[in-house]
Formats: sequence, C-alpha cells, structure tokens
Amino acid sequence: MNSFVDQFSTHSPTAQLKRAQKLIAAEEDDYSDAAWGSQAGFGGMIKGIPAFKVPAVADPTAFLRLHTDDHADPNCRIKIQHGTTTLAFRFKGGVIVAVDSRATAGSYVASGTVKKVIEINPYLLGTMAGGAADCQFWETYLGMHCRLHELRNRERISVSAASKYLSNLVYSYKGMGLSMGTMICGWDKTGPAVFYVDSDGTRLKGDLFSVGSGSTFAYGVLDQGYRWDLTDEEAQELGRRSIFAAGHRDAMSGNTCNLYHVKEEGWDFIGNYDISKMYYEGPGDVPGAPGGGYGYAIRTEGRSAANPPPS
Amino acid sequence: MSVYRSPGFDFSNSTRNNFLLNKGVPLPKATSTGTTIVGCVFKDGIVLGADTRATEGPIVADKNCEKIHFITEGIRCCGAGTAADTEFTTALISSNMELHALQSGRKPRVVTAMTMLKQTLFRYQGHIGAALVLGGVDPTGPQLFTIHPHGSTDKLPYVTMGSGSLAAMAVFESKWSANMERQEALDLVILAISAGIFNDLGSGSNVDACIITADGTEMLRNVDMPNQRVQKERDYKFRRGTTAWTKEDVRKFVVEETVTSTDEMDTS
Amino acid sequence: MSIMEYNGGSVIAMAGKDCVAIASDLRLGNQMLSISSNFQRVFPVTDRIYIGLPGLATDVTTLRERFRLRVNMYTIKEEREIEPEAFTHLVSSTLYEHRFGPYFISPVVAGISKTPTGGIKPFIAATDLIGCINFAKDFVVSGTASSKLFGVAEGLWEPDLGPEDLFETISQTLLNAVDRDAFSGWGAVVHVITKDQVITRKLKARMD
Repeated sequence: MNSFVDQFSTHSPTAQLKRAQKLIAAEEDDYSDAAWGSQAGFGGMIKGIPAFKVPAVADPTAFLRLHTDDHADPNCRIKIQHGTTTLAFRFKGGVIVAVDSRATAGSYVASGTVKKVIEINPYLLGTMAGGAADCQFWETYLGMHCRLHELRNRERISVSAASKYLSNLVYSYKGMGLSMGTMICGWDKTGPAVFYVDSDGTRLKGDLFSVGSGSTFAYGVLDQGYRWDLTDEEAQELGRRSIFAAGHRDAMSGNTCNLYHVKEEGWDFIGNYDISKMYYEGPGDVPGAPGGGYGYAIRTEGRSAANPPPS
Repeated sequence: MSVYRSPGFDFSNSTRNNFLLNKGVPLPKATSTGTTIVGCVFKDGIVLGADTRATEGPIVADKNCEKIHFITEGIRCCGAGTAADTEFTTALISSNMELHALQSGRKPRVVTAMTMLKQTLFRYQGHIGAALVLGGVDPTGPQLFTIHPHGSTDKLPYVTMGSGSLAAMAVFESKWSANMERQEALDLVILAISAGIFNDLGSGSNVDACIITADGTEMLRNVDMPNQRVQKERDYKFRRGTTAWTKEDVRKFVVEETVTSTDEMDTS
Repeated sequence: MSIMEYNGGSVIAMAGKDCVAIASDLRLGNQMLSISSNFQRVFPVTDRIYIGLPGLATDVTTLRERFRLRVNMYTIKEEREIEPEAFTHLVSSTLYEHRFGPYFISPVVAGISKTPTGGIKPFIAATDLIGCINFAKDFVVSGTASSKLFGVAEGLWEPDLGPEDLFETISQTLLNAVDRDAFSGWGAVVHVITKDQVITRKLKARMD
C-alpha cells in the first residue's frame, strides 16, 4: 500500500483513526499525563509544539494587546519588561555574552537581580530582552529540542540549527503578541557563533549584536573597542564596559552586569559586577580591567568644570 | 513689565499646555480631598464637620489637613473637591466678606457669602472644582447651605458632601431630629463623619468639627481621633556614618555680632 | 507618558529637633535617557529657607527666577527677611495664579522659622502643582519617586532627630526610594538646616 498517499488521505481508515484520536485528545483538554512527567511542563509536546489557549473573542490579538501593551492601556494587567541591555559578540577566543539585571514595570524598578542569560545547555546561551516569560519559556523549550536532536543524531546541534528552530517556532506565533529579542550564542563545528532571533521572525547571523533599550549605548562602546583578535581578557573587559555604559545612561537598564564567555569546551560564567561599584571603583581585581572607576566624574576628578580641583 | 501683577488667573502657560494636551500628554492630577463634609442645624446654631484626609490619586497626601475654612467669625465653610480650589475660593470670599462688612458697617450674613461663592463658581462653569458646605449664624439666625462646583445651591437643615456624603447622609437620615441640643448635634456630626472615614476610601484620619452659635464660634480641631498610630516598639535609627558622601560644604551664619566703635573715624 | 516624568527627579524634606533637612537627587533625564548627573533642583531662598522644585526642568528654571523676583520684592517692601510660612504662601499663590495653565512643578519648602517668643521652629511644607499647601509635622515628599519616598519615610522617620541623625535618616530614605525609581537617582544632595549653619553634602549614590 502506498503509505505516503495514506498519510495525507482524508478518508482512509488511518485518517479516521487519527481524527478520532484527535477528538479524544481534545476532550481530555488541558493537561496530558505527560505534563506532570519528565517533560517538565512542556506537556503539549506530545502533539508537536505546545498549543496555547486563545481568548474566546473575535480578535484575540487585539484583545491581548489591550491587556498587555502600555500604549493601548497604561494600566495593563501584564506589564511586559521593556528596558534591558544585552550584548553578545564573536571573536577569536569565542563568544562574550554580557547583560544587565534590571527589570522595570513603567518607572518602577521591579527587580535588580534578574538573570537575563538563559543557559540552554553547556554549549548554548540565550539572552533575554522583551517579554521575560516568553524568552524563558521558549528558550528552555529550545533546550529540550536541542537535547532531542543530540539523541537522534548523536551529535550536538549547531548554533545555526538551534536558532533556526527558535525562529521558526516564534514565527508560527507571529502577530499573536509574543515579544522577544534574543541572541543564541554558542560554539559548534564551525567555531564561535552568534545568531539574533526576534519575535517578528527575524534571524540574523553576525559577529556583534546588542539588544534592548540600552543597546545604542552598548554599541557605542562595543563598536569602538571591537577587534577579531581581542584577547580573552580584553574581550571580557569590553563586554563589561559596554554594559556599564548602558546601565549608566539608560534609566531602564542597570544594577548589575552578568558576564559569560563561550569557549570551545562550553560556556563559562565569568562574574557578576555591580554597575555602581564599577562607576566608583571599577570591576575589582579582574584580568583586563584598567583599575579605577569607569565613571566620568571619577576619571575627571578635580579636572572638569563641574568637578573643579579643591581650591 | 510692571512688577505689580493684575489680579485674576494667568493663562500664559495655556498655549504650551494645550499643545502638550493635543499631543496626548495628560495633565497631572492635583491634590483632591476625597472627603466627607457635613453640616447640621440644631437648636441654637450650626455644627459643621469634616474628615482630614487629602489624596493624590491612590496616595494619601496629607493625613491631617484642615477642611473647615474661615469665612468670617460667625461663618465657616467646609470644602470638598480640588483642594487648592476650595482653599483659594474660600480665602477670596473671606476677604471680600470682610471688605463688605467694613463697607456696610453691618454683621456679615451667610446668604451674602453663599451668593458670592455661587456667583464665582458659576462664572467658571465648573472648572473651579469646589463643592462646599457653608454654615453660620448671622442676625437672621442659623443658616446652612451647600454649593456645588457649577454654582447651584441648596438650603437644608442637614447636609453632606464629598465622596463620603452617602455614608454620612445615611447617619443623618436615621438619627437627625429638629431642635437638638448642642452636645447631641456635635455627637451626630462626629458619627456622620466617622461613617465617612470608615466606609469611604476617599475619607479618613480624624474628625474636625465647628460649632457656631449666636454667642460665638468654637472650632474643634481633631475632636475625635479614631485612627491614631500606635507607638513604634523599636526604631530604625541609623548609626552615624551609615551614608557615604563625597563632598561637604558647611555654611555658618553670623549668629551674634559685636559692634566695636573706633574713635577715629575717617570722615574726610 | 506624564509630563511630570519627562525629566524625572524627586525631593524630600524632613523635620527634626531644631533642624530641618531637604534632599533631592541630581538626575536630569530626557524620558529614559539620562542627560546630567549634576542638575540642581534645590535652591536657597534665604539663609534659613530652601526650596526644592521637582517636575518639568524648564519650569524649574522659570519658577526659580520667579520666586527670586518675588522674594526680593517682599524683602524690599517689608524691609525684613521672609519667613518660611510667608514664603510657602507666596509659592502657593504664584502657582494658583496659573490654575488653568499650570507650571509642572510640585515644590517642597524647608526652613527654620522664628516664633514670636524668639525661639525657633522647624518648618516643612509641600504644595501640589496648583498650589494646595500641605503643612506636615514629620516629612513631605514630591517628584517621580514620591510614592516610594512615602513608603520609606513612613517607616524610617521618627520625631526629634538631631542634625546628624536626621542626615542619616533623610539620606537613607532618599537613596533607597530612588533606587526603585527609574526616573530618579544619578547622585543626591542633602541640606541640613540648623539655627546657625547649613550643612550641604553630596551623597555617594548609585549611578545607574
């Protein structure tokens, strides 16, 4: 029998069976047993990608926007995290990933200790900008698929493939209110790699990216200091210094900087640096740091018009 | 430009502010008094009452403000609505009442104040957001009025206004009676304001009352304080030197000066 | 977006024992972008009176000059220094004059006033943007971090603090409140006014 035709037939016994199965699955509704098992809440996987319940209104997208978007409704129930600075760049020694740690809801600083780097697996890192929940959920979900890929193919997934998986996934939800701007960073057969993926469906391969409200400030420092043959210490310092600049100037970024370095053997967490401490004293005794505070007022102490020498 | 300013409002920022408004920038909220204010007539006069909470949106801006304003010795006015408006409108009318009394050489009457207030408010078509309870005793006897922001007035034996007016009115409707004694009336007013304080979120803190009779006026500030905070068990005093600072500047005043005269003053 | 949040900034004043303190942050922003970390919004009016003007920066400058003119006119006419109470009413009526086209400023006044018996009394007050005065006995707050300042001050303030203790309390209140506000921060300044001196200190604040 031609199994290929069978697969797409609408009235074959197999198709009818499938339809019946689907009906039963629909009646079971919310959670399959797998939801409580090893699949860690990604229970929908049994049916392929997780499917979300959509509000029963004429235009679910408009409905969602009304309740989640500050512009449509300033008192929106779900405040999506907007301000952030994240950056990642590729160089001789691997990939540097640096992010800030502030979460704001309007003008309120909701948290200063947010982990905006998502550790997908020991070789892959994702960054978080836009909707915190969206990034966390889909990048963790991506991690599961990367593992399945490993089991199926007996080799690690390439950064390119992983990022494409994510971008296809978010594209299938396009226009439904997902909000994420992320960088998928890692080291695969091709060497260090950085991909930018966002909820519009954009996927870009590149050497250097920065995402978030503070990205312009980070780019300013990053562009100026970037070379391919940066040493590890120089590269780490550049990442730190760029996040400092953004944390300093952008009201919605700040508090601390989390720094990661992806090498051939996987990623390394380099450290957590307080941005105000960097302003006054610098990052402390770390390789690559020039010593002394990064702050303008500190560097010009006693020499600027605003901060004249003691008379 | 003269340093003497002409009286009345200054609209010089209006062009700018309307431009912002048209761009979709909303005007910031002013302090308003969510408020319960009441007044009632008794045998020999009037009792006025008010709560003491001022709010800015959901924030309690002032926990013990004064809402019973002075008009003349025998006339007082409770204000609800935009706090600045009640404050300045009553101050303006108080001023004009004094001038009127001086001009006419008679004791000022409550109706006069009421007319001045309603004409002022009507002229501004409700843009001055003052809702008032005006009461007092004049040669014609005890008088009690309410004045709404658009300029309409009522004359009743017991009145309430503000967001807590329903709670307070419920008390008056069930307990008020004609020809009450002084203490009876005061207790009723305190009860009515308390109803507002506890049942209306826009009102709170303490009760102010004012008893006006032909013999004189007694202003009872914080006559009842049902919301006193308990003494803190411990304090959060910081150790000296907790706060790091980078620069210090001390400016000492000349507190005392000694003048010494010199004999040889050069006057040439 | 609210116009009061356009430039950011907050001010707080506290009363102590025979002293008052007024403190503010030093940020001037353009919405989310921080522009200056040295923007003065607390100004001396007389030796013993300070005024804080949080709100729209253009109006900070305008009102500062307006108050200077009016205080000078008062001093010349009355031939004496203005008292804090009188100055607060001057501020209030200046703002109410613009009732239907307001300045986007809600000032805070702190000073030491003289009692008729020759003693001194700490004085603090705040007004809203159209001049409704709030005379408080404990503390007054204003600006983009006002809701946070209210919370912290309500917990930390206590009566009869001396100048040095008041400095710690007001500094910690401001610093901690401002760290939770995206529009305020970037340095802070505190003035502690006593009967015979004013101590001004620039705080080591978070710079992000």
